Amino acid sequence: MNAFALAPLVLGLPILGVLFNGFVGRRFVEADRSVGEKWSGWAASIMALSAFVIVVLLFFSLQANGHHAEIVPMMDWISIPSANFHIPWAMQIDTLSVTMMLVVTGVGSLIHIYAIGYMHGDPNFSRFFTYLNLFLFFMLILVSGNNYLMLFVGWEGVGLCSFLLIGFWFDRTNEKGEAMNANAARKAFVANRVGDLAMILAMSLTFWTFGTLTFSPVFDSAVEMFHSGEMVHFGAFSASLGGVLTAITALFLVGATGKSAQIPLFVWLPDAMAGPTPVSALIHAATMVTSGIYLIVRSNVLFEIVRESHALVFGVISSPDLVALIGALTAVYAGLIAFTQFDIKKVLAYSTVSQLGFMIAAVGMGAYVAGMFHLITHAFFKALLFMGSGSVIHGMEHGHHHIAHKHGHGHDDHHDHFDPQDMRTMGGLRHHMPTTFWTYLVGSLALAGIVPLAGFWSKDEILAHASANSGGINTVVYALLTVAAFCTAFYMARQVKMVFFGAPRHKAAEHAHESPRTMTVPLVILAILAIGGGLLNFPNFGAEAAHGEETAVVEDTHATEAEADDHAAESDSHAATEADDHAAETDTHAAEGASGGINLALEHWLEHSIASFHLTEEGVVHMPHTPTSLQVPVAAISSVLAIIAIAVAYFVVYGSRPKTADERDPLQATPIWWMAVLPLNTLYMDYLIPAFNRLAEWAAHTLDWAFWHDFVHDNIIRNIFVGFANFASNVLDAQGVDGIVNGSGSVTRWLANQIRRSQTGYARNYALSVFLGTVVLLAYFLFMAR
Amino acid sequence: MTVPVEWYVALSAILFSIGALGVLMRRNAIIIFMSVELMLNAANLLFVAFSRYLGNLDGQVLVFFVITVAAAEVAVGLALIVVIFRTKQSINIDEINLMKG
Amino acid sequence: MGLLTIVTFLPLLGIIWILLQDKEKDDERVKGIALGTSIVTFIATLVVLALYDKSEAGLQLVDRASWIPAWGIEYHMGVDGLSILHILLTSFISMLAIASSFPVIKQQVKQYYSFLLALEIGMMGVFLAQDLFLFYIFWEFTLVPMYFLIGIWGGKDRVYASIKFFLYTMAGSLLMLLAILYMGITNGTFSVPDLIAGRAAFASAQNLLFVGFAIAFAIKVPVFPFHSWLPDAHTQAPTAGSIILAGVLLKMGTYGFVRFNLPLFPEASAHYAPTIAVLAIIGIIYGAIVSFAQRDVKKLVAYSSISHLGFVMLGIFSLNAQGIQGGILQGINHGISTGALFFIVGIIYEQRHTREISEFGGVWIAMPVYSVLSLIVVLSSMGLPGLNGFVGEFTILLGSIGAASLGPNAWIYTAFATTGVILAAVYLLWMFQRVFMGPLDNPENKKLRDINKGELAIMLAFLLFIFWIGIAPSGYFALMDASVAELVNTVSSAVAALH
Repeated sequence: MNAFALAPLVLGLPILGVLFNGFVGRRFVEADRSVGEKWSGWAASIMALSAFVIVVLLFFSLQANGHHAEIVPMMDWISIPSANFHIPWAMQIDTLSVTMMLVVTGVGSLIHIYAIGYMHGDPNFSRFFTYLNLFLFFMLILVSGNNYLMLFVGWEGVGLCSFLLIGFWFDRTNEKGEAMNANAARKAFVANRVGDLAMILAMSLTFWTFGTLTFSPVFDSAVEMFHSGEMVHFGAFSASLGGVLTAITALFLVGATGKSAQIPLFVWLPDAMAGPTPVSALIHAATMVTSGIYLIVRSNVLFEIVRESHALVFGVISSPDLVALIGALTAVYAGLIAFTQFDIKKVLAYSTVSQLGFMIAAVGMGAYVAGMFHLITHAFFKALLFMGSGSVIHGMEHGHHHIAHKHGHGHDDHHDHFDPQDMRTMGGLRHHMPTTFWTYLVGSLALAGIVPLAGFWSKDEILAHASANSGGINTVVYALLTVAAFCTAFYMARQVKMVFFGAPRHKAAEHAHESPRTMTVPLVILAILAIGGGLLNFPNFGAEAAHGEETAVVEDTHATEAEADDHAAESDSHAATEADDHAAETDTHAAEGASGGINLALEHWLEHSIASFHLTEEGVVHMPHTPTSLQVPVAAISSVLAIIAIAVAYFVVYGSRPKTADERDPLQATPIWWMAVLPLNTLYMDYLIPAFNRLAEWAAHTLDWAFWHDFVHDNIIRNIFVGFANFASNVLDAQGVDGIVNGSGSVTRWLANQIRRSQTGYARNYALSVFLGTVVLLAYFLFMAR
Repeated sequence: MTVPVEWYVALSAILFSIGALGVLMRRNAIIIFMSVELMLNAANLLFVAFSRYLGNLDGQVLVFFVITVAAAEVAVGLALIVVIFRTKQSINIDEINLMKG
Repeated sequence: MGLLTIVTFLPLLGIIWILLQDKEKDDERVKGIALGTSIVTFIATLVVLALYDKSEAGLQLVDRASWIPAWGIEYHMGVDGLSILHILLTSFISMLAIASSFPVIKQQVKQYYSFLLALEIGMMGVFLAQDLFLFYIFWEFTLVPMYFLIGIWGGKDRVYASIKFFLYTMAGSLLMLLAILYMGITNGTFSVPDLIAGRAAFASAQNLLFVGFAIAFAIKVPVFPFHSWLPDAHTQAPTAGSIILAGVLLKMGTYGFVRFNLPLFPEASAHYAPTIAVLAIIGIIYGAIVSFAQRDVKKLVAYSSISHLGFVMLGIFSLNAQGIQGGILQGINHGISTGALFFIVGIIYEQRHTREISEFGGVWIAMPVYSVLSLIVVLSSMGLPGLNGFVGEFTILLGSIGAASLGPNAWIYTAFATTGVILAAVYLLWMFQRVFMGPLDNPENKKLRDINKGELAIMLAFLLFIFWIGIAPSGYFALMDASVAELVNTVSSAVAALH
């Protein structure tokens, strides 16, 4: 079976949805709300689901052809023959892109369905689904393109959709009359553009270094050049390969910090929560923000060569280490900020930033599979949490609506600044919204890293990698990530406690009720995935449990792995069964129980796309090895810390608090609260941006207009010119030139006056003069001309 | 006996002079016209005389042209005089001095 | 009479026909004639495109006749890869500019359309003339109709703006005229291909000659700091005038650099490339920052042109195939995107009679279709991948980072230029937010009507190319590839000699 020819449909279907909702959906909805919403919402959802089905077919096709990457060309894009610059529109179907596409279309479909319920009654219902489908389209381009430039199309495209969706309610204003949603949308786009600057530079350098932007030729020639020790020459520039690749990878990192919300560019993500909640779930948790991780995993060969070449960024740190460090710092920092938030979605937003930090740290350390593993499980449980929080908000809004109705129409509700997202007004919701509560609890525990939920396995793999490869930066990263894991458990326990336990602290919370089915069914599906997601890359038990000599372990596993690989290659039947297992498990998303055969399934699946695996075998690079079995001490430490954190949050800090909506948070007295000031955000919003505004005002109105336009041109240049002209006309002209001209003029006039007298007007006089003239002429001819 | 050509020339000169003086001295437009005719016919007389004297017909042919042009001229001129008379109630050319500088 | 002559002077027939119409009575017919003429001209340029052989580098469809033999001046027209896109742009933009004026221009209709058509003749001639003298005539000729278009149908300060426009450009061209005369006299010919072949005769003076040409073109582009005429001309010109000004007239400057400066003075080009690149980059950043603080939408778009044209100049003076092709294409892109932006501003100005950004807000609610189309154009101007702006911008940056002409530190130039990408997002989104997003709280804006069919048709024409060039630009690059390759050949040896 070969479904590769269908691949373009994965992109085509969402576009079809965009066209449908963009052109006719609005009319459907306006003609008849209830029916029109169904048409509009389901049309979009079906496009997403069909794309998912096709991706599943691609998955099987990939199994069938032995995991070989398949290039599906579509058309020519940019082609400059004389510059030897050719960029096609082509899809690369390999295990990595299919994994990403499964996440995007799978989680995406669920969120589409969820949004039908969530967005019910919105005046721009069909516009919302237009954007969602457009987002899917760009996200799929991002993960399926076979070159960096196509990746960049998706990269910017999802940024655009993020802008549109954050600004979906662009006419909303806060109390101060500021258009907060529109501001947040713009902030997100601009912050992303900072990252895009780095991407453009990185791509340009990549082209000149390798002569192409297509993934596999770039990686192949990188390896080749690394082998031969060739220098990089282009234009008048030359440098070592390690140096150029360090620049490229560092620039990729900057790009990733923008898109994946890392220090120093993460400030847009919390603001992005102004968008509708399905958007937060889809874009700002599960898919778009993970593109930075995808980018680094995709470019793993370049990162590994840099690691191998020991080139440093500014002579300080190698770029993969920098990636890991940035990720780990972000994980801790955002985790701490999450303590201080009262907005249910902002807690999740900072949590997302923190978890993305885990992934970035993982891929920076060379744990590409672990990073991808965490990406997938995180997509499950964070989408679940966001959708759960959306359900809570939905419930709170309904509760608020309910009391507003009960009080009659007498007083104006607009003056009641009720915020349905403020956790302080919630409490006790577990009774009113049981499905939401249970699924939310599953998501929280998965995120907190409690055995045996998905988050435990993926987070533990990252921690295990850091501890197994300790030394250098990894030790720091390990310590930071452990602290971050503690924070995660703490803020999630705080949130669950504040939202679902205790007594309701606002009338709206008392009257909240469960959300409709289109919303809860996706929650349940995602909860199942969040429970079983760990099976995707279930570790071995016992094989190398002992924390023996570091190198021995590495070599040992190395051998086993190579063996396993050989084995797989030799035995077709084995591969087939393995393939079946993969299929079964991804199809149902690993809801079934574990059997021995699926251990490390994700790693065996992805190693076909992550070239560093076989390059390590060949000895070209030395990708750090991730332990293939459960590291009991590491797991124990993180689990115990998580449980302690939950206990401290639930029983100690928030034991009987908060009782009322305006009670101070117990943490408000501690230095942690200092984080709430958000030094980085303050730096940007209060110093950098006002400074830019002042610069722009000055440049536009003072420098360019008052000085250059008015003063230099209108005064200096014009005055000099006018002054010269005056001198010329009054002095030179009036006395010099005019003297001559006027003089000759007056002579002429005098002469004319004299001559005029001869013009009597009598015809006779003229005749006489003719006659005399004739006589004179005759006389001349007769007497003189002889 | 034949009249020598010199006599014709003299007659013609006298006639022309009379015509020219008439044009210059008379104030009545009609008379000026007649004087112009006199000058033209003086020229005609010379043409005919020299034609006969030189023995070819070119001069006589030219006379016909002159007569035709003179007739046309008189027609246009009289029309003009009529128009002037209508506006000025006079054909005294001393009163027609619009071209005075 | 060759095809190119016909293409150039076709609008003259329209002018004559328009002038034969009854006074003031037949405005509708005059509009019809003007639009018809411009459509026929557009089709004629498509015929040129059909006959054009893209594999050939040199001039094609050449129309050459002796004109003033005593001075070696010829009537010499020809098209090659450097000009083919420009003439298509000219006829396309002229057509849309004429169509966009229909509801706007109500006074002196005959004169207005005559001037527009006359302007088309001049622009066409500039892009097709291959004799420097002829080129100069067309170059100066374009000033006249534009002067009147701004001065008669312009805004409040139209007279000031038109005179400034005229004087500024005129002053710039004087040095060019001197340079042209010098070259013509030393070589006894004004024909560009002959001068390129015989450039040894004036090679010793080429730095001065380069500057003479460069100032004329730099004012036209405009390169920072010669941009002071632009905001005046743009804000005062009628919508169609702005569309043509941004769409085509500015491209005459960049075209001039590619057509004359690079092949005639390759060594000087290499010598001055870093200087011009620095000015271009200042223009990119400065234009963007200044746009950001504008309060008038049209002025904002005008300043954004300085930023965009900075990219074009940077590409051209990368002196490699990516840069020059990217520069030419970006010029075309700018013509389309900025033309569309001016058209968008015109639509809303017609209804509200103001362009103050603070007067607007929430327009998306009142005019949804218009707003979506505007968003696409704004994104294209911002360089969103998949739309036209990105293709040009990326190839330019690609060219400049690998530009031997900019020395081993070309990447520093490129890094600074790339900040323009961020700044474009900053000022365009800020404008977009204040005009289209936010609450619809100004009662005046609630009365706005959405885009009508005629306006939609014009917008769709713009959008067609925005998407086409964005998604499949290969055909456009193919048109200029051979000619640019030859040009790069000429120039790159000069660059190599310099370093």
